[in-house]
Amino acid sequence: MERQLTLISLFSALIAILGLVPRIDLISGVPITAQSMGVMIAGAVLGPRRGALSVLLFLLLVALGLPLLAGGRGGLGAFASPTAGFLVGFPVAAFMTGWVVEHWRAFLLPTVFVGAAIGGIGVLYGFGIVGMAIVLNKTLLEATLLAVPFIAGDLIKAALTAFIVQSLFRARPSIIMSRVVR
Amino acid sequence: MFLFRSTTAKLGTGENVGLQLYRASYSVAGRQILSGLSLHLTEQRIGIVGRNGSGKTTLLRLLAGLISPTEGYVRVEDIDPAKNRNMLLAKLGILFQNPDHQIIFPTVEEEIAFGLRQLGQSQSEALRVARDILLKEELGHWAPRPTCELSQGQRQFLCLLSVLAMQPSTLLLDEPYAALDLPTQLRLRHRLANLPQRLITISHDPSTLMQQDRVIWIEGGSIQADGEPDEVLQAFSIEMHRIGREECLH
Amino acid sequence: MLALTCPVETPLHRVPVGAKLLGLALFVLIITQLKAPALAWLAVLLVGVLHMALGVQILLFSISLLRPLLPFLLIIALWHAYTGTLAQGSTTGARMIAAVALANLITMTSRLSDIVALLERSLAIFNRTLQARRLALAIALVIRFTPVLRDKSDLLADAWRARRNTQPRWQILPPLALAAIDDAERVAEALSARGGV
Repeated sequence: MERQLTLISLFSALIAILGLVPRIDLISGVPITAQSMGVMIAGAVLGPRRGALSVLLFLLLVALGLPLLAGGRGGLGAFASPTAGFLVGFPVAAFMTGWVVEHWRAFLLPTVFVGAAIGGIGVLYGFGIVGMAIVLNKTLLEATLLAVPFIAGDLIKAALTAFIVQSLFRARPSIIMSRVVR
Repeated sequence: MFLFRSTTAKLGTGENVGLQLYRASYSVAGRQILSGLSLHLTEQRIGIVGRNGSGKTTLLRLLAGLISPTEGYVRVEDIDPAKNRNMLLAKLGILFQNPDHQIIFPTVEEEIAFGLRQLGQSQSEALRVARDILLKEELGHWAPRPTCELSQGQRQFLCLLSVLAMQPSTLLLDEPYAALDLPTQLRLRHRLANLPQRLITISHDPSTLMQQDRVIWIEGGSIQADGEPDEVLQAFSIEMHRIGREECLH
Repeated sequence: MLALTCPVETPLHRVPVGAKLLGLALFVLIITQLKAPALAWLAVLLVGVLHMALGVQILLFSISLLRPLLPFLLIIALWHAYTGTLAQGSTTGARMIAAVALANLITMTSRLSDIVALLERSLAIFNRTLQARRLALAIALVIRFTPVLRDKSDLLADAWRARRNTQPRWQILPPLALAAIDDAERVAEALSARGGV
């Protein structure tokens, strides 16, 4: 029980610092924020339920006013901004990623990539686009156009998530909860 | 109290230009951490002693070029370590305190190869050279091993190999013994003693710096003493004992 | 670094958090119904006046928090200029500014401990005191360990830059995540040793 609590909390902290550290380049020269990768990693490693809880805990702290979002943003204002949809989608994305990893029994690398793509792009963008449409008062199609340029970057992030989770699995096999051999 | 004596220890062979600081200061967020340090480091074995918070780690980071001085300048073999990192990385290596916060890659050969890429080698070349280095140490079987499987001593040794792979002429060591158990400390000490590079060792523990050619005592961001290890370390120990008896933990 | 956004104590701090959140919800509900630009900008003015009443410092700080909205405001301006619907764009922009600014103000003027207390009370209503304690502990753990992980990421970044002249790349993330996992194991042991949760 304690272990689950601390794992959830520490992954929330991990997601937080992935927003606070702008100095990580993902691919040569392109500084993308790694925070959404933290969300997908949480889902893949902790599983759908605990991963989602971890992200919800993170969002709670953001709502509390801690500047944990990429760029040092935070507070309730973030939930009223055009990107609020993405925030709401984060825990769902984590859940989706974790769900795919848990239920699709292929090799870890492609499984995590597909999970991260479905969760971190498909689901997340769904929520994000709806959110933008509402706040910016645009149609869904128009909001989609605004979001499309970012998909390429997020596909790369999904691939990196897969490599990172595979690396974690090799170092600590028991940590990928859904892959623990009983 | 201020003790300053010029050292009569032997100078290093080869790279005589050494490392220089001239009136180097470093402050951040209004706090002055180092004030006006001037040093010319040429000896083969140099120790820097100071208690926690004295500024010795900042001094190391200035020499390594991880930060720039807010005043004055720093030069390593006439190179500005902060601005000219490509040239610096061929000359200066650092061994940090804790191997767990230093090893980045999942396998031993990748970890060693990382620095070799900086020297212009391709990934396959770098891996080949890394395996050669391990073979020379009779550790060829280590190459594909996961780094997380290594023991603490083995990890520290891997960090040392990774840094030495880049063949620097100077090695900075930040509290190299602090995180190690006694046998590992002794092994590392023996290993370091035989290295041909110039070694600059930072420590808060005087007993680890007895074999240096020159010891510099940093306190409150400035030089308290500079000279023969016996004298400087004795003065340091006396002062530390005095502080330990008098000051309460604020 | 890991500090709450609030700079200074205000009368609004004394208003109960629940009331402020309700007020915010009502406000956002109302302004989403506004169609005329004049009304939307009136809402912005009202929020601005509320800030001013609490002090210029608060107003300036709140404005600085609006910076992330700039790219979106630009998009709105360009879009609606292009489609000739500037009035609608103006309303959208004003609503966004008013909602975000007021939400940030509520956040700024609510102490972390007060909000956590509200959460605990809410959970207690549903007879979930155990969950409330666990939640409070989880919050404390995240706050405690974010700087710790940040330090580890700084160390790893140093270790990278000590051997390579580029910005750290994604390869430092696995060791960072491992550090988080190992810290979690250690804290779990410490908690168990002290009676568990």
